[in-house]
Amino acid sequence: MIRVKSLSKTYRVHRRPPGLGAALRSLVRRNYEDVHALREVSFAIAPGERVGFLGPNGAGKTTALKILSGLLYPTSGEVSVGGFVPQERQTDFLRMITLVMGQKQQLLWDLPPAETFAMNRALFDLPKREADVVENELVELLQIRPLLGKPCRQLSLGERMKCELAAALLHRPKVLFLDEPTIGLDVSMQAQMRDFIRRHNEATGATILLTSHYMADVAALCPRVIVIDKGHLIYDGELKSLARRIRPEKRITLHFSTVPAPGALDRLGNCVERSDTQAILSVRAAAVTDAVRAALEHLPIADISVEDPPLEEVMREFLAGDRPAKGGESAP
Amino acid sequence: MRRILRRYARLLAVQMRTSFTLAVQYRFDFFVEGLLAVIWLAITLVPLAVVFARRPSVAGWSYPEALVVVGLFSMLKAVLDGGVMPSLNHVVDGVRKGTLDFILLKPADAQFLVSTARFEPWRILDFLGSVGIVLFAFHRLHRWPGALDVCGGLFLFAVALMLLYSLWILVVSLSFRVVKVDNLSYLFVSIFDAGRWPIHVFKGALRVAFTVVFPLALMTTYPAQALLGTLTLAHALYAGAGGLLFTALARFIWQQSLRSYTSASS
Amino acid sequence: MKRGWLGEAGRDARRLLRAYPSLLRVGMADMLAYRAEFLVWILSMNLPLVMMALWTAVAADGPVGRFGQRDFVAYYLGMLIVRILSGSWLVWELTMEIRRGILATRLLRPIHPLWAFSATQLAAVPMRVVVLSPLVVVLYWVAGARLPVHDPARLAILAASLVGAWLLLFLVMALIGMLAAYVESALSVFDLWLAAQSILSGFLVPLELMPAWVARLARMLPFRYILGFPVETLIGLESNATALRDLGVQWLFIASALLATIVLWRRALRRFAAFGG
Repeated sequence: MIRVKSLSKTYRVHRRPPGLGAALRSLVRRNYEDVHALREVSFAIAPGERVGFLGPNGAGKTTALKILSGLLYPTSGEVSVGGFVPQERQTDFLRMITLVMGQKQQLLWDLPPAETFAMNRALFDLPKREADVVENELVELLQIRPLLGKPCRQLSLGERMKCELAAALLHRPKVLFLDEPTIGLDVSMQAQMRDFIRRHNEATGATILLTSHYMADVAALCPRVIVIDKGHLIYDGELKSLARRIRPEKRITLHFSTVPAPGALDRLGNCVERSDTQAILSVRAAAVTDAVRAALEHLPIADISVEDPPLEEVMREFLAGDRPAKGGESAP
Repeated sequence: MRRILRRYARLLAVQMRTSFTLAVQYRFDFFVEGLLAVIWLAITLVPLAVVFARRPSVAGWSYPEALVVVGLFSMLKAVLDGGVMPSLNHVVDGVRKGTLDFILLKPADAQFLVSTARFEPWRILDFLGSVGIVLFAFHRLHRWPGALDVCGGLFLFAVALMLLYSLWILVVSLSFRVVKVDNLSYLFVSIFDAGRWPIHVFKGALRVAFTVVFPLALMTTYPAQALLGTLTLAHALYAGAGGLLFTALARFIWQQSLRSYTSASS
Repeated sequence: MKRGWLGEAGRDARRLLRAYPSLLRVGMADMLAYRAEFLVWILSMNLPLVMMALWTAVAADGPVGRFGQRDFVAYYLGMLIVRILSGSWLVWELTMEIRRGILATRLLRPIHPLWAFSATQLAAVPMRVVVLSPLVVVLYWVAGARLPVHDPARLAILAASLVGAWLLLFLVMALIGMLAAYVESALSVFDLWLAAQSILSGFLVPLELMPAWVARLARMLPFRYILGFPVETLIGLESNATALRDLGVQWLFIASALLATIVLWRRALRRFAAFGG
């Protein structure tokens, strides 16, 4: 469905250091810098897949999405989405995709969402009866019927994002580009959005490309992740394998009934967190059973649980450890 | 071909519906703006009145003849304030906030969408008032334009609209590259304002500039001359050709600007 | 008790004196960053030039009142210079900040927000002086004899009138901008001010050439003291004695505006804090 080969994107930006002297100097001579947003990125995505784009801020994830949707022109490389070249912005291509940006919205601000829906229907030339069916479905699934008549500026962020999603899906696109769709939303709304996206993908077989800072989004939605750091693609594969590769350890959370004897914990392994009532141990997957048995034997345990390490930590460690070799940089 | 026309007609209807809804919602604000527009029109007539109180004619134009130019200028200004400026401000805002991306993602011609984004329908009152000024001017002249003159006037007014629109497209294309220049529309209006005077008031390099670079002469003086029966056929054809050329140039520059557009960061 | 109060005011004054230079510096760096906008603004100030073209065409076959062609050129060049030097954008900044609730955060700082605003506006003056210098050269070339080059008294009056013009406009904008905390359409009020100003300040037409009652009315209103009066002083349209008297009137307007600003702003502070958040 999506095929990207050696994609690169470079911006020219004018950098000015602060201060009056620098400002005056910049009048005469401007310092331009090349920002390499993407460097020779290649990947392929099959129809119906759900893929997550991960990486620190400024890594190039949003740039990649914008190039895939035809908003930006690549500096070099080949991009093909559903057989189309995005930058040509052909009508059939535009009917096939949709882009949802968590920090911007296409909903008309002073008017109710219903007006935006009507506008999108006209823009995509949707026949009335079909469009009615699709709109009803989306409105029911997202539970936004009472919101349709209120001006967007009166809706909360979560309500607006749900309407935004509905507006973006009216034309039944086969490819969804979602750029931080859950940013700023509260926990329950994030869960609702994730739920909806997953069910949409399962029901319609649409291909989904998601960027997010929230690991929960990626963990819940994307079996496959592509990690981009400073424009380089540093990982492309299953999320589970990535986690296991970086942190082949499990987390054991111990809840104590009474305060344990000092030193009793140290025998069991690496203690990540400790307080009087609980402790969290980081233990290699293979050694988990032994560690649990030892804990139950030697410590006053009230409750015990075993989990995978939080994805945030995995990612942090992955991004901290992995630096593309630029020659001369010492590895930790 | 007919399908495309029908589709764009439907799109235009939808766009206008949005503007109408907003116009009803913000009718108080628009009323205040309309009132201010009338006040400003009256104010700009003051120098005209003062000038012609002291001289019977300036640069070959008498008071009623100059009024025709003022009237036509105000008609264009009503179109500018009602049809061009609202869209321009909307687009420049969109470029700044990055919401222009959504327009570019829609399967319709971006230039069309951007041009019809916003109207201010109350400005039709301004327009009618300006027609009133033109009628008043001819009343003062004690004669009325012949049929041929009226045709010429309408033709040149259409050319003026084409020129106005093309200039606006150029300004919007510029705002793609120079994102922070919000008061570009302010500059546009201030230059346009010179069009309320017959072009013959300006001499030398300025007159050339206002005929070729920013064709104010073609926009207000020529239609006035057509109505007054003083425009030669050659000049009318020249204006028509210029209008077409400008429109083609504007479309070309718009396409080029889209190519190099980078949306606001993040 | 009294000494304590002075001590407080003294501390505020010293804080202000320390902070002001850095406020100015930041303002100037800002102006340089926004030089494209500045250029666009300068280019938009072309109405005096259009009026110049109009009136020189009118005066082609003879002077209008006291004004020959050269006089009109001198007048409108002077008007352009004064307009650019005394201009502020405070009213737009103020209404925007009030609407967005940002002004409330300025109130948390230990100096009155108007000081910070004044620094931003003043920081624009150096750049304007640089851009205006060619215009001043042209003005000298056209009407050198009328300029107060050898008349120190008039030069002093001119300088005071320019400072006064800037200050008066700044205070008027502070007052009108403050209205944004009370009404939605504060900017429309300013539009009305501008409309009145364009006729009654001599901006569009020299006040001498207007009907006598308009000129008389204009002398009693503040508009003339923002634009017309400094221009008339610049190109010597009135005697030094009359100019001095007009200077007094200008600063009387400034004093009243200052008083109004202090009193009304204190009242409005509560409303500023109500927005945003």
